Amino acid sequence: MMFRTCSYEAELTQAMKDGHWPEGCGPELRAHVDGCSGCSDLVLVTQTFQHARSESEHAVLGGSPSLLWWRAQLRRRNAAAQRVSRPITIAQTFALFVYVLVGVVFIASQYRHGLHWASWWSELVPSRAQHFLPVGSGQVDWNLLLLISGFGMLALLSGLVVYLASDKP
Amino acid sequence: MRKPDTTGEYAIPNVDARVASRPDELPMDSDAFAGFYQRSAPALRAYLVRVSGNVALADDLMQESYLRFLCASQPEGGEVNYRRYLFRIATNLLRDHWRRPRAASIEDVPEQFLVARDGMSRIESQATLDPAMAQMRPRERQLLWLAHAEGYSHREISEITGLSAGGIRLLLFRARRKIARLLRKQIDADRGKA
Repeated sequence: MMFRTCSYEAELTQAMKDGHWPEGCGPELRAHVDGCSGCSDLVLVTQTFQHARSESEHAVLGGSPSLLWWRAQLRRRNAAAQRVSRPITIAQTFALFVYVLVGVVFIASQYRHGLHWASWWSELVPSRAQHFLPVGSGQVDWNLLLLISGFGMLALLSGLVVYLASDKP
Repeated sequence: MRKPDTTGEYAIPNVDARVASRPDELPMDSDAFAGFYQRSAPALRAYLVRVSGNVALADDLMQESYLRFLCASQPEGGEVNYRRYLFRIATNLLRDHWRRPRAASIEDVPEQFLVARDGMSRIESQATLDPAMAQMRPRERQLLWLAHAEGYSHREISEITGLSAGGIRLLLFRARRKIARLLRKQIDADRGKA
């Protein structure tokens, strides 16, 4: 397809924009439009679209501007609140990360050294309680129990911290 | 090349904007906005209806356009620039909508296939324009409406759509020839019926 701009196009566009077409235009321009396919296309398309636009000016609008304004204000305030709380969320996430890291390192190091400091725990537990424990031989692996309960506690507290960190204002 | 957007972030374009006094305060008060809405909403709605071919979608996008317009810092230069900025937001929302993968639903059925229509009266020019517009590509519909209904220059359309002014010139030339052919065919068919 050849792309060629007619020299009358700008003049014709301006005339239609100003509402001078066709009565306000000279016979030369009108004669040109009759013979030029590009300009007659321009006239047909512009007049059709202008007509459609003027019809749409009378369309009944559904939305209420005051409701839109109120919703925009709410959205902007929420965005501002989120911007303010972002550093707090980052700090909470960092604290959670440090907490989990320290917990894991602590439990791992204690398990490696045999949890000797926890020997008092076995003395506290009444010997009868051992009957309820799922150890067939009657021998309780206190190190393992402490490790499991430590991980359980860590998981519980992690959940709590995650919940608090994700709690939106 | 621009990365495809799925978050709708493109819908708020970057402009040289006036900074609002407080981040949670809207840059336009309720009364000023109501006036601007009354003056600009019919044109914006007509643009969205014609380009999307879907009244329900057009209404949703219009509301979202105004919300984003209010939440963003508006450009300087008065109402003419506000309107252009609003059209730019709406154009980006349309682009986001077309890029989004979606399942077909009743909301996606083009306007001309629905029996019940909205309050717009169906008169002669619509009866001629609707079938022709339905055969145009969305980008062509956008350019034609902005150029011939809104009267925007190539430079202004370039600001609204993000396309180069040279590209717009060529696309518009082709789109105009195509729709003129379709309109003539439609007019001849209507005359034949009469």
